[in-house]
Amino acid sequence: MGRGQGAAAAIAICAAFIFGCGRTPNHPAGYIQVDIETSPTSTDPRFATDAISSWVSELVFDSLVKVDRNGQFVGDLAGSIERPNDTTIIFRLKPGVRFSDGRELTSRDVKFTYDSILDPASMSLKRAGFAELKSIEAPDDSTIVMSTAHPFAPAMEMATQEIVPDGTPPPLYNEAPAPPGTGAFKMVRYARDDSAWLDRNPYRPVQADALLGIVFKIVPDPTVRALELAEGVCDVSENNIEAYVLPYLGAQPNVVVNESPGTRYQYLMLNFRNPQLRDVSVRRAIAYAIDRDAIANSFLRGTARVASGMLAPENWAYDGNVTKYSYDPAKARQLLDDAGYHAGADGMRDLTFIYKTTPEGARLAEVMQAMLRHVGIRVEIRSNEFATFYSDLQNGNFDLASSRWIGINDPYQYYLVFDSKMTPPRGINRGAYANAEMDALVEDGDRTIDPAKRRAIYARVQELAAQDLPYISLWWLQNVAVLNRDVTGFDPYPNGSLRSLATLKLIGPAGSEASQ
Amino acid sequence: MTRYFLRRLLALIPVAIGVATLTFAMIHLVPGDPIIAMLGETAAPSDIAEMRHRLGLDRPLGEQYLGFVGGLAKGDLGESISYRRSVASLIAERFPATLELTVAGILVGLLIAFPLGIISGTRPGGAGDIGAMGFAILGISIPHIYLGPLLMILFSLDLRWLPLTGRGGFSHLILPAVTLGTALAAIIARMLRQSLIVVRESDYMRTARGKGLSPMEAMVRHGLRNAMTPVVTLIGLQAGALLTGALITEVIFSWPGIGRLLISAISARDYPLVQGCVLTFALTYVVVNMATDLAYAMIDPRVRLD
Amino acid sequence: MRRFALNPSLTAGATVVAIVILMAAIGPLIAHADPFAINLSNSLAVPSLAHPFGCDVLGRDVLARVMSGARLSLGVALSVVAFSLIAGSLIGGTAGLLGGWIDETVMRAVDIVLAFPGILLAIALAAILGPGIVDLIIALTAMGWTTYARLVRGEVLSLREREYVHAAETLGARPARVLLRHLLPAMAGPVAVQATFGVGGIVAAEAALSFLGLGALPPTPSWGNMLDAGRAFLLVAPNLTMAPGIAIGVAILGFNLLGDGLAQLAGTRS
Repeated sequence: MGRGQGAAAAIAICAAFIFGCGRTPNHPAGYIQVDIETSPTSTDPRFATDAISSWVSELVFDSLVKVDRNGQFVGDLAGSIERPNDTTIIFRLKPGVRFSDGRELTSRDVKFTYDSILDPASMSLKRAGFAELKSIEAPDDSTIVMSTAHPFAPAMEMATQEIVPDGTPPPLYNEAPAPPGTGAFKMVRYARDDSAWLDRNPYRPVQADALLGIVFKIVPDPTVRALELAEGVCDVSENNIEAYVLPYLGAQPNVVVNESPGTRYQYLMLNFRNPQLRDVSVRRAIAYAIDRDAIANSFLRGTARVASGMLAPENWAYDGNVTKYSYDPAKARQLLDDAGYHAGADGMRDLTFIYKTTPEGARLAEVMQAMLRHVGIRVEIRSNEFATFYSDLQNGNFDLASSRWIGINDPYQYYLVFDSKMTPPRGINRGAYANAEMDALVEDGDRTIDPAKRRAIYARVQELAAQDLPYISLWWLQNVAVLNRDVTGFDPYPNGSLRSLATLKLIGPAGSEASQ
Repeated sequence: MTRYFLRRLLALIPVAIGVATLTFAMIHLVPGDPIIAMLGETAAPSDIAEMRHRLGLDRPLGEQYLGFVGGLAKGDLGESISYRRSVASLIAERFPATLELTVAGILVGLLIAFPLGIISGTRPGGAGDIGAMGFAILGISIPHIYLGPLLMILFSLDLRWLPLTGRGGFSHLILPAVTLGTALAAIIARMLRQSLIVVRESDYMRTARGKGLSPMEAMVRHGLRNAMTPVVTLIGLQAGALLTGALITEVIFSWPGIGRLLISAISARDYPLVQGCVLTFALTYVVVNMATDLAYAMIDPRVRLD
Repeated sequence: MRRFALNPSLTAGATVVAIVILMAAIGPLIAHADPFAINLSNSLAVPSLAHPFGCDVLGRDVLARVMSGARLSLGVALSVVAFSLIAGSLIGGTAGLLGGWIDETVMRAVDIVLAFPGILLAIALAAILGPGIVDLIIALTAMGWTTYARLVRGEVLSLREREYVHAAETLGARPARVLLRHLLPAMAGPVAVQATFGVGGIVAAEAALSFLGLGALPPTPSWGNMLDAGRAFLLVAPNLTMAPGIAIGVAILGFNLLGDGLAQLAGTRS
């Protein structure tokens, strides 16, 4: 072979090698790829509190009860639930449930799971959520008795803890696959920062044409996620595609964008340690100064509903009949003038606030800064990496900050965020809000078991929150799921849960023709 | 020769200690508390104190420093706060990726530089020279943070030939390597050009002509041979730029090497990991410099008398 | 004048640099739009007559921001070079003049600083000091003084040995003053070349640090943080990357050409 031909052949081989691979999904037929933004902080459901960890755990584990799409508690592992009195709940387990390694589920597994979380040596982040739990007993193999010290309305919330097998050790590093669970899938492989592979749980009955498995691929780069969806490499991705990319994806022939109402709540937090922010006129002025509709329509491209409070309309305790704040800068200025904060020659008043944010939140911070400047309030933005941002919130080291609550279910949340005793580290009242009426209401709400009475209490709470503005409500983010047309049966949950992946079906050869 | 080597090695030690001390001092002045970020806001103060104790952050600074240097001598860089693994194991895991990228960058640099340098050097002043040198000065001037995204737009998003980010097969290496190697290519091309021009005007030409070689062949053969040493030492001199260039390129392309590890460690306020990464970069650089000096000393005996 | 004609690098470089300086100096004043003016309805507007490079996600005009970025980059670069020059010269000159253990210590310090590759020291310092322009200048100066220290020290050492220094000393002149009188003209050439390349290098370094989130932060427009912000929009708005990218490429190119030209002029090879 002459030198020229050899070179040409070499180039051809290289070209084929280079350009031929890299675009195909590398999972077998019958599997789907779901792109997520970061790794779960833990694959063990006893240790993680972040949203991504729970979306993955939900597919691998079950709990005594689960929350349905209407926010109601329904039995999951529990076949029956009794409440003999205000401080006791008795769960009876369904028979014949098996973990993915074949072992049968008994009450011992349930008790072990709770005990290991409550054990101080484990340092589980979830321990604080069980502060009201007095005891959890397993009188026989299929019964669990949960007792609280006082009547505690949200006690059911504590029964949504996912169950691991008896004897599972705490994870040494955050790099092991999840322990066996009773859920629809089992995690067979986990490479942190890369992917998590889920196969069907062989001991769960399943329909004939259901998915064989799921590959969760961790893709931090938003552009790559969008590309993978456009090219059919990724089949499902929820709530991690930026709104302005959606028109581009919607235009792709093999992609469909599914938007549904969501309960993720974005809010502006105010620090009551700052005397100027303790003045309700200042808080109301800020509320009038923010044009939420403009933000929702512009860079959020309509994927948000302006919020009136922490509970979204999908929540059973939602009350929309509260004070609302339209965009009215003139009114804002008026309020500030009346409160004695007059504007100088440059239009600015003697009001300067430090707004803490992460780099991801900087965009919103800049918008807030501009809008508040418009009414004479100076905002200094301090952008810090998440770790510093987090410790700033913990120490009350901020004036303004924005954050989100995901997956609020029970209005018990109000106690955690607004009760004057629940400042960190006890609770999450980061702004040190203190209002005696609010305290009385939220504490009462926790103790009242009757749902109708509770509803009335929280209606009052929502109106008080709207009037007194410990938070300035911004919006409820829509759930935006981008799907490959080859998948059907995707059912979005308002809190962004991916639970319906368990019953997803593939039509057409997604993954089959391209795999090796 | 061995004496020179040992002398250089000995000189390395105070620098290494100085670098380690400076790194330690810098890192412990960092604001922000990693423990709270790790354990969450609602962590009990007892948990926070426990974790702080476990990580040794409650000991006096002097004691921490001695522990640090002592561990260093044994190859123990402490434990990462965010990964809960030994820093040394994390670095060992990511080092091959950085090495792969750097070597690929150097190769790409050479691959681009040689044709350009030869075109320029053999016909200085010609169209090829102007074009090649124009490309070279562009290559030096366009920073990685622009070149990377530019290549991404062109080859990944528009043409869809290559993957956008991440490490994987060979195709994933191309864009990062080109991004990293272009500046090096430009510098080497300029140097090659210089070498060839010098040869052109020198005695070699006449000798070679006498031997019956065509002017082009003579120039290239002698010019390139002459240029070998300077190319190697140039790469050594550019080691610093290559290392930080690799760091930036890793961030751009989400390449899982030590550079990206360092940047995310900074965000996470993961003291031990930042320390470990900075030290790894600095010590690698120091070693590469020493190696370059040694290579130079082997070639040019005069250096040893320094 | 003829020097310019024979030295295309010098001409081209000087022209480009002049344009960049002009843009930095008066650009933001005559800009058609305010680089900080948020206008949500213009979010990601495509390039048009009103907005030649389009708008970013908050509706701010990209061209205005690029011109504002020129001011920042040049400001930082000139400050850093000036401070590095002053600090380095003082330290290096003193070391060369006094010799002995002072010289040794300074040289060890230089070695340790130089043991950090590229901008790694600046990255580590910026990580500690936090983001922000002042901290950026400090971090980059901490890295940059070594070049001038070495340069000045070298000159001082070589000049010390010269005869006229001895001669002047015997005549009663203080060595320091003599050195200064002879030092400055001798140094002018190499320092000018070094400083020019230095400015180009600092522009690149500032952009890199801002890109990594360790330098100027939004809303302050810096070419570096604009390139970082643009990454999320590569798919739908590549103009957000192209505009600051071209600006920074041209600016660095200008300084490199100018440096090349000056080096040719001074007779030294870079």
